[in-house]
Amino acid sequence: MRSLLRPFLPALLAAPMLALAAPPEAVTEHVQARLVSSQAMVAPGQRFTVALEQKIKPHWHTYWLNPGDSGQATTLEWTGAQAGAIQWPTPSIQAIGPIVNYGYEGRAALLVELTVPADAKPGSRFKPAAAVKWLVCKDVCIPEDVSLGLDLPVSAEAKAGPDAAQIEEWRGAIPKPATFAVQLKPAPQGVRLSGPTASVTKAYFFADTWGAVAHSAPQALKAEAGGWALDIPAGDEPVPVGKPLSGVVVLTTAAGEQAWAVSAAMPEGAGKGPGPADLSAPEAGATPSPESDLGLLPALALALVGGLILNLMPCVFPVLSIKALALVSEGNHKAEGLAYTAGVLLSFAALAAVLIVLRAGGQQVGWGFQFHSPVFVLVVAYLLFLVGLNLSGVFEFGGSFTGVGSGLAAKQGLAGSFFTGVLAAVVATPCTAPFMGAALAFALAQPAVIMLAVFLALGLGLALPFLILAFWPAAQRWLPRPGAWMDKFKQFLAFPMYAAVVWLLWVLAQQAGPDGVAMALGGLVLIAFALWLRRASQGVFSGVATLASLALALGVVHWIKPVAAAEVKAEASIEAYSAERLAELRAQNKPVFVNMTASWCISCLVNERVALSRPEVKDAFAKAGVAYLKGDWTREDPNITAVLKAHGRSGVPLYLFYAPGAAEAQVLPQILTPGLIVEAIAPPPTASRSST
Amino acid sequence: MTLLRRSLLAALILPALAHAAATIDAPAPAFTATTADGKTVNLADFKGRTVVLEWTNHDCPYVRKHYVSGNMQSQQKAATAQGVVWLQVISSAPGQQGFVDGAAAQKLNADRGAAPTAILLDPKGELGKLYGAQTTPHMYVIKADGTLAYKGGIDSIATPDKNDIAKAEPYVTEALAAVAAGRKIEKASTRPYGCSVKYAS
Repeated sequence: MRSLLRPFLPALLAAPMLALAAPPEAVTEHVQARLVSSQAMVAPGQRFTVALEQKIKPHWHTYWLNPGDSGQATTLEWTGAQAGAIQWPTPSIQAIGPIVNYGYEGRAALLVELTVPADAKPGSRFKPAAAVKWLVCKDVCIPEDVSLGLDLPVSAEAKAGPDAAQIEEWRGAIPKPATFAVQLKPAPQGVRLSGPTASVTKAYFFADTWGAVAHSAPQALKAEAGGWALDIPAGDEPVPVGKPLSGVVVLTTAAGEQAWAVSAAMPEGAGKGPGPADLSAPEAGATPSPESDLGLLPALALALVGGLILNLMPCVFPVLSIKALALVSEGNHKAEGLAYTAGVLLSFAALAAVLIVLRAGGQQVGWGFQFHSPVFVLVVAYLLFLVGLNLSGVFEFGGSFTGVGSGLAAKQGLAGSFFTGVLAAVVATPCTAPFMGAALAFALAQPAVIMLAVFLALGLGLALPFLILAFWPAAQRWLPRPGAWMDKFKQFLAFPMYAAVVWLLWVLAQQAGPDGVAMALGGLVLIAFALWLRRASQGVFSGVATLASLALALGVVHWIKPVAAAEVKAEASIEAYSAERLAELRAQNKPVFVNMTASWCISCLVNERVALSRPEVKDAFAKAGVAYLKGDWTREDPNITAVLKAHGRSGVPLYLFYAPGAAEAQVLPQILTPGLIVEAIAPPPTASRSST
Repeated sequence: MTLLRRSLLAALILPALAHAAATIDAPAPAFTATTADGKTVNLADFKGRTVVLEWTNHDCPYVRKHYVSGNMQSQQKAATAQGVVWLQVISSAPGQQGFVDGAAAQKLNADRGAAPTAILLDPKGELGKLYGAQTTPHMYVIKADGTLAYKGGIDSIATPDKNDIAKAEPYVTEALAAVAAGRKIEKASTRPYGCSVKYAS
């Protein structure tokens, strides 16, 4: 009987009940609001959850507990029930020019605990009602208010309703109380909030009261394995000593994004602002920035290890193999080892000296800078071509370059070793940056003496394997026995050299255009011609013709001119980097990916091939609306050098991702994978785009 | 090393920032602006008089709260009668809510009986950003010696409901009374409330 009547009940009751019971749903111009109960039937004295669901018109937003610089939080004024405080889901950031707001777009579900009166009679009805007010804004703000109510049967036994699961799902969006302790202390411009979560890549703190922090100011994250620290500039009502700062911190780690409700008191005795101790001694937990704050000893150690690793680089390995072959044969190995080491060290010292001089002259330089010059690229190409021809057996340096063969003058062998060392250092430089970024960035920011020490440590690392082989004959037993294979192997090694020449010419093509490449190839022909002349002719003519050809080849070097600004490859979705464009895109709250690259940077090219130009990455960019800015450092560009420096790097590659509304760029690793990029740019739920 | 450098940098930058923004008890940022009737005014012109800056946007519900109720007009009249310079500032960018030209701004005030000393037109938002104005209304009081005495809300109840005005603590009225009496302002910095200033975005 009752159930038969139920469909008609609302109609039957509507007229007389209107003044008494508010409807559970209401629609305004911008919001559909609804009260949702977790219970179908409530028991006397029961505490249960209701939700205010707001479905908000696209591009409009309502506000969080602390609305930020402007705006107003939604309020609920209850009658007919005892109600707890609103439980707010994690807000998102709405930035409008210089103003930052905290709120919700699309949908918000605010939860409230209601208590049924203990004296409610089973069989009666529980009718809580709420006057609901909110401000809804896009580029303009509209205050709206509705009256909503519930009408639930009271029974001796409570019964969950069909929306209980939905409410539990909404509860998942409410930040959980942090399971860890956070610390608060004064920082130079505001406060530093820190916690123990490892490997945080992004963090944002939403203060739950107005004025405690500056809502629109960037929050600087310092993260490492041991925890994170967030420097948050103070607002107009800074946290007083002894008083707590509370709110929601959103931490992004490899496991995803997690919002935590946190609260920490400003410690007593922290004083009014930072004392000198706070500035000079970072405490445990708050860590110095990861890239360029290395100490001298770690930098030296890192440089040494980096130098060792360099031996395995594709650019260096062939050169080293040639040297190793020399050890297999007879000779004064100790002297050769020293000569080689001297060659390497002197080259690195020279490089350091050039950097010091350039830096003193106010030039913005970074690692691999020498490859900015097409002349340098061409000369290295010539050099590697010569080495290749030598390995192929087209000519020999006064008998031998490598020391293979007998009857060598000791002096020639030592000179050969020395120049092999120089060559190793020269070809090693473009390989260095990815491994040595931190140590080199450290070095470049240091006084000349320390910089020189770091560079020498790097060189020593590079020379070390050969030095050990030379001085410790036992180690030579690991080398294979000499034999006819040595010649074949030597000839084989010519091909990596030619490949390196191809790469250098490709680099040159970016710098000097097709004409430059044509001239360079002509120069290579002249070199080959000179070597052939030397063998085919005799006497004075031979010498003169050879020198003339070589002179002509070197003459090309003078005619090589850099072409005007290299256009970024015409790909519609990629824009050339400029600080202005980046600022513009960030102001529009667009996600931005920045790729700082150079055509001579092998890691950069590999990353572009295996990750950045993959369809899944392109799709992810398109889907997330990511603007892709590419900075080309193939030729020196002070603007890009400045960006590298700002992120503790001295060379490319550098990959940055600016999430919409994020204060800081996320620095991506130097070795990229498609998955890594896709994950990094995945739009987090708390950083939504907004035009308001 | 780097840390030392960073602290030096902070030491250099911080005072500069402090002066650039509107800070209580610090000199109020100097400005030159164009009025609705085409004149140029400079903050220095008003040295020796108390100055009130009122950021406004006539279509913002929070601004309407104080004009429909007559609260803003009566505060303006009471203040200017005491010799206070009351400057309305319109920082809405062209195309945004609240943007008006000089003539329209004057007509609006005539229609609603508003009586500020002058209306400053700031369509580029320069004055707004100089003072860090975030909301409409957002109120500032500058003392006769040019230091900033008050910044924040017009009163204590952050709603668009005009029935709340009588219940609210009138921060600006209190600040002006304290300045006139040479007393310390009890609440010199409060939460501004209202719509966001409609800067060009």
